[in-house]
Amino acid sequence: MKSKSVRFPDAAPRVAGTLSKRAATPTRVSRRTQLLKPPIRLLTAVPICDGHDSAINTINLEFIHCGVEVVYLGYHRSARDIVRAATQEDVRAIGLSSYNGGHVEFFTEVVELLKRQGANDIGVFGGGGGTITKADAAIMQKNGVDRIFFAGTPLSEIVKFVKIAYGAHRRAGWRARGETISDPDRRIARMLTAAETGDRDEGAYVRGAPAKGSGPITIGITGPGGAGKTTLIDELVLRFLKASPRTRLAILSHDPSLIGQGALLGDRASMVYSQDDRVFMRSLATRGQAGGLSPASGRCLRLLKRGGFDRMFVETVGIGQEAAPFGGEPVDRVILVMSPDYGSRLQLQKIVMLDVADIVVLNKSDLSGAKTAAVEIEQRLALNGRGQKLIQTVARRHRDTGVDELFRLAIS
Amino acid sequence: MSVLAQVTKAVEGFNRFVEQQVSQARSDSQFGEQLMARWQAARGGLGTVTIPTALKLPRLALPLTDEPGEVARYLYGEGLPGEFPFVNAAYREMYLVNAGAKNTEEPTRLFAGLALAEDTNHRFHYLTRHQKNIRLSTAFDGPTLYGLDSDADGVFGKIGEGGVALDTMEDMERLYAGFPLSGEHFSVSMTINGPAPIILAMYVAAAKRRFGPEVVSTLRGTIQADILKEVQAQNEIIFPIEASLRFLADMVEHTTTHLPRWYPISISGYHIAEAGATPVQQAAYTLSNGFTYVELFRDRGLEVKRFGPRLSFFLDCGLDIEYVALARVCRKLWAIGMRDVFGADPPAQLFKLHTQTSGRSLIAQESKNNLTRTAIELVLACLNATNSCHSNSADEPFTTPSEEYVRLAANSQAILLEESGLFKFMMNTLAGSPGMKIVERAVEEGILVEFREIDRLGGVLPAIDQRYQRSQIQAAAHRYEQQINDGTRPIIGLNRYRDETNAAPAVKVVRTPRRKKQLQVDRLEKFKHRNRARTERALDRLATVVESGGNVFKELIHTVECCSLGQITGRLHECVGRHRPMV
Repeated sequence: MKSKSVRFPDAAPRVAGTLSKRAATPTRVSRRTQLLKPPIRLLTAVPICDGHDSAINTINLEFIHCGVEVVYLGYHRSARDIVRAATQEDVRAIGLSSYNGGHVEFFTEVVELLKRQGANDIGVFGGGGGTITKADAAIMQKNGVDRIFFAGTPLSEIVKFVKIAYGAHRRAGWRARGETISDPDRRIARMLTAAETGDRDEGAYVRGAPAKGSGPITIGITGPGGAGKTTLIDELVLRFLKASPRTRLAILSHDPSLIGQGALLGDRASMVYSQDDRVFMRSLATRGQAGGLSPASGRCLRLLKRGGFDRMFVETVGIGQEAAPFGGEPVDRVILVMSPDYGSRLQLQKIVMLDVADIVVLNKSDLSGAKTAAVEIEQRLALNGRGQKLIQTVARRHRDTGVDELFRLAIS
Repeated sequence: MSVLAQVTKAVEGFNRFVEQQVSQARSDSQFGEQLMARWQAARGGLGTVTIPTALKLPRLALPLTDEPGEVARYLYGEGLPGEFPFVNAAYREMYLVNAGAKNTEEPTRLFAGLALAEDTNHRFHYLTRHQKNIRLSTAFDGPTLYGLDSDADGVFGKIGEGGVALDTMEDMERLYAGFPLSGEHFSVSMTINGPAPIILAMYVAAAKRRFGPEVVSTLRGTIQADILKEVQAQNEIIFPIEASLRFLADMVEHTTTHLPRWYPISISGYHIAEAGATPVQQAAYTLSNGFTYVELFRDRGLEVKRFGPRLSFFLDCGLDIEYVALARVCRKLWAIGMRDVFGADPPAQLFKLHTQTSGRSLIAQESKNNLTRTAIELVLACLNATNSCHSNSADEPFTTPSEEYVRLAANSQAILLEESGLFKFMMNTLAGSPGMKIVERAVEEGILVEFREIDRLGGVLPAIDQRYQRSQIQAAAHRYEQQINDGTRPIIGLNRYRDETNAAPAVKVVRTPRRKKQLQVDRLEKFKHRNRARTERALDRLATVVESGGNVFKELIHTVECCSLGQITGRLHECVGRHRPMV
């Protein structure tokens, strides 16, 4: 098969860099973990003050088609945001695509921050076409970056590197050093990984999860793709953080796995207020389960409930009419987010969540057709006779009064 | 009917009108005779020039035809240079030696920005040391482009990389020190978008501090401030789109009154093309963004007559054949749209164009080949009668351009326009070839197809919301990469005639040393400390203006006296929120 290649605008020769010792050290892989090996999870991002996202978009696609789960943080992201996201998501490595200079300092800062968080088992690799010289790459690799790819590197080579360097089960990696995980978020993140993979050995950490009261109120948010669920959560987060200076929030977000392949976990990329030390966010791929959640959602949710958060959000993937995703899960309140373009009035009758949801949000209520939609949904809810609230929002608008109203309902 | 639908209709109507004139010229002998009389007069009135080899030439080349239909198609359909619909040129004589008073400036405008303000100032003086007309073009570093201060979390490594670091109006004073800001032959251009109003306010404040308040009305230059293309392609937007557009309109309103020689927006296709768009997409999105701005300013109550002539454009010029005629078509469509949809007079019908050669077409392998690429692109840009031009340095794929390559790039323009006889003696030397006309038609039709699609989505802003432009650009970028990969798009030295022995570029890399970065941070801290008693009050006043719907730009000219860029964007974020990235 012909390999695809990314040509960075300043395409440099196709030269393989050398693996740093840490990444190249072969890890022993037991037969059991080989059989049940979960997908590799990576976080990709573009550094602060850099909007060049074309190369990373191409690379993300290649990764997910090769079975990797990619948490994409987007462009113009600070080292602190990147490291926070990487530790919360408990990814195996961070991939950075840098085109605006300052890469030596930036990559080094990421590596240093990871160390400081006790998360230096998370690898760092990246590229930046010709803007990163070989001399720069040598310094960066000396500073702890696993690998810098130069312009003209075939995508297949990057994937191969990721599979070799980060494909092995990590258990040996962090346990062998006998490290204790002091950072509570890091601890939760590791336990979530155990919960997601169902690993028996790491399961010990699930049992050791800190218990604290009955757990926070958990809000489930669901609705069709593109209705604005992620934006709405981000706007609610902004209001929660502003309302109380000590509040800590957790978000469990879901994105679909491609059949037999990886997943692009991209909700973080469009969230601006949720990149905060007071917000713990975890992205799960559905890994073959239909209906909006992952097979591990329940376990992860129960774990997070004991994590000391004040409020939790669970966002499903975009759902169809027949889905009712929160059936068996410990969710206290369910919000259905819709946009005015659901089709005819008849279509409304078929949406199961309209019977289940506690609050229905009609987002994008500035679009034409919103008035009709509001009337039709009101009528549909009235038939249920359960006093379900309908709130109209324009989540993309700053300080939207509809979102304010939703927030008041959400804190009560 | 949306503005784009109206423009499309106007263009179709114009083309029908031209064809009617063509058939009338052929069938109606009286009309035909009038036309031929006009044609003879135009021919007879041409000045002549004797070139150094003693050959005598007219100053404008006209088609050698006496067929009334063809004459009608030429005079109505493309117009003489400087005449509606300006297909051949915005002005009559463009680059000609001893051209009329309207356009006496050489088109060279070179982009520079490196390290700290004084370093860029030094580069500016170096670049313009032989120029009668001083035309500076400024690149800013990453933190400045994103409205962050140099002491912001995690940006230290980016200070002064890829452009000049600018935090305060004092940096602005250093940046243009020693230049006559109000001079007849001086103009400055600033490539910045998200925080553009703050940066221009700093420029105005710095100029006032140096020359007194009366300097303001004489300031001449351009600021990019094109928010729509940022959302579509370059991702350097910091406030939500609505708020960004409001700040922009405030700035346009203020400058059209108080800085009448200023161009407050440069509607740009460059970044759209660099992000991967095809030439047709570049032209279509640039024009449609332009018409959207005009609609926005008009709906705010600004007069097209006032602001129309203060709009300028910025296009990429690459190696694809569309570039033979791309700007020619843009001038035509803009003129028709402005005249027929917005009722603009001739000064507001002009598509005033700055062109930059394609950065994306340059590669690191055997990088001296980039000199040839840029030279070809320069010829194409001048064939399109661009009003000003930047030629890229061959070392740009890996570094902020070094003086050696900047000099070569500047010289390439001088060689083309001053040394070669191609453009300096006669207008339209190569215009109107059959191939050029064919490309024009194909490009125009392609642009109208895009206009119809954007209109179908509800116009430019709704199309942005639906990610239309972004996904089209990304798909084109993907195709481009695939073509390079499978060899259908040959790139010499990369996928063809590759020199394996000499692959590593041996070019000096320009970087900002650590001590300079630290110096910038120290200066900023001193500024903040010195002004600490005034900062909060100034920011509060700014916030009040934002909330009350006043003119934010006018207030910013005061705010920048005692607040840094980052302090101002921080407060504005509190008022209007942050831009939510599109992915």
